[in-house]
Amino acid sequence: MKKTWIWMLSVLLVTIAETPMHAQTNQEMDMMALADQPGYVPNASEEQLDAIYQRQPVFYRTTESPGTIVVSTSERFMYLVEGNSRAIRYGIGVGRDGFQWAGIHRITRKAEWPDWTPPPEMIERQPYLPRFMAGGPGNPLGARALYIGTTVYRIHGTNQPQTIGHAVSSGCFRLVNPDVIDLYGRVPIGTKVVVQHAPTL
Amino acid sequence: MTLKHFFAAFALVAFATTSVSAQTLKVVKEHGDLACGVSEGLPGFSEKDDKGQWSGLDVDLCRALAAAIFNDVTKVRYVPLSAENRFEALRSKAIDVLIRNSTWTLGRETEGVIWAAVNYYDGQGFMVRRALNIDSALELADKSVCTKSGTTTELNLADYFRNNHLTYKVMTFATGDETSTAYESGRCDSLTSDVSQLYAQRTKLAPPRDHIILPDIISKEPLGPVVRQDDFQWLNIVKWTQFAMVNAEELGINRNNVDEAMKSQKPDVQRLLGIEGNFGEQLGLTKDWAARILRLVGNYGETYERNVGTGSKLGIPRGLNQLWNRGGIQYAPPIR
Repeated sequence: MKKTWIWMLSVLLVTIAETPMHAQTNQEMDMMALADQPGYVPNASEEQLDAIYQRQPVFYRTTESPGTIVVSTSERFMYLVEGNSRAIRYGIGVGRDGFQWAGIHRITRKAEWPDWTPPPEMIERQPYLPRFMAGGPGNPLGARALYIGTTVYRIHGTNQPQTIGHAVSSGCFRLVNPDVIDLYGRVPIGTKVVVQHAPTL
Repeated sequence: MTLKHFFAAFALVAFATTSVSAQTLKVVKEHGDLACGVSEGLPGFSEKDDKGQWSGLDVDLCRALAAAIFNDVTKVRYVPLSAENRFEALRSKAIDVLIRNSTWTLGRETEGVIWAAVNYYDGQGFMVRRALNIDSALELADKSVCTKSGTTTELNLADYFRNNHLTYKVMTFATGDETSTAYESGRCDSLTSDVSQLYAQRTKLAPPRDHIILPDIISKEPLGPVVRQDDFQWLNIVKWTQFAMVNAEELGINRNNVDEAMKSQKPDVQRLLGIEGNFGEQLGLTKDWAARILRLVGNYGETYERNVGTGSKLGIPRGLNQLWNRGGIQYAPPIR
């Protein structure tokens, strides 16, 4: 417990020391973003996103078939392909630097108000996290979870709506609860998930 | 050399000299700044703030040209122009390039000017209340639509509904403001205009998030930079400035990583930045022309997001203006 305190304090001090040094680019803001807040219950107005990140139909050309989920990590958007050059676009929170990935998988499991068991890697990095938390409104996984292949990653809800549009997670993709409930109702198990990479130099 | 070859070579030289006779680049360099024709104030595209600073997607293209030519984005003289006098200003050489949200059409290109590229694909769309719970223009059957009277917007609307065998009720108003007010007060279910305008109008509604712009585009309004027809070198410089920015986004080169990109081993990156080959000097610029643009202005995606996208008040989704391999139609020929 004491160790955790010292760790958190040092993070805080580093944050304070660094803040005024240079202009805050998006990336830096992301790295300074909030840690998980298990137990925090957001209200409905917090879940009202800015117009940009709200769920909306958009023009979207793709060779992927209708029903496919395409995640664009660099854009912070998730597209559910509808065909005829259209998609439903959701604003998402993505993995922070070093926790971003790409690949093609399928949805293997769906769960309502999932329990949260942070994986050992996550406990090692963030020892202050609970070992287990039952599903419910204060749970960081939010209202629904869609399991991606056999990876440790999920598409899930969140109890921190303010993190949508930022790079904060350990590699999962988070949506506000009303959006993940909407997505959950539209996609069956077996849905293809394409996670796109930003180009490398 | 046979006689035939001699004449062919002669013709080529004669063609080359007449085509570059205008020498806009030389004039711009001698004058020390670029005269860029812009709008009198259009949010997201070209707008002057209270300190006299210009910004916008079109303005960033003016700045990118100044970066490529002078390595200095301040060497631009902005000339605000009305819709009526913009092409005459270009033809009479009052400006070097026109970047004023101008739609590319055949009629206009028969009158001495030519489009160099498309920096924004606009088109007519629809705004509706989110509570109406529809997500396609095809669901607007029997709904009322507000629009400005006597415009192509009104004609496109009629064509779209006729082609889809839908009935609708149109309400027309004399000005854009009146049309917007009528929609806001609930006199019609939907408002139609060019999509970029709809997003600008939405920022004034309270709250904007209660309204959505449908993804359907029912007309083509390709906007881009325009030059005179007398100078191929200048046409190429303007064209490839836009293409360099689009190619840079595709390659992942931006304002923050351009120096790191100079060390890249990828041939595409090396050619764009002038590490390999010498396309810049062949254009009449310097080897590092594209690196200058990226360092001082950024790639296409960066200028899009900052002026009209997620970094702006407008928040227009990339849509048609996303890269060709990411869901849109922005496509630049390769630099090689």
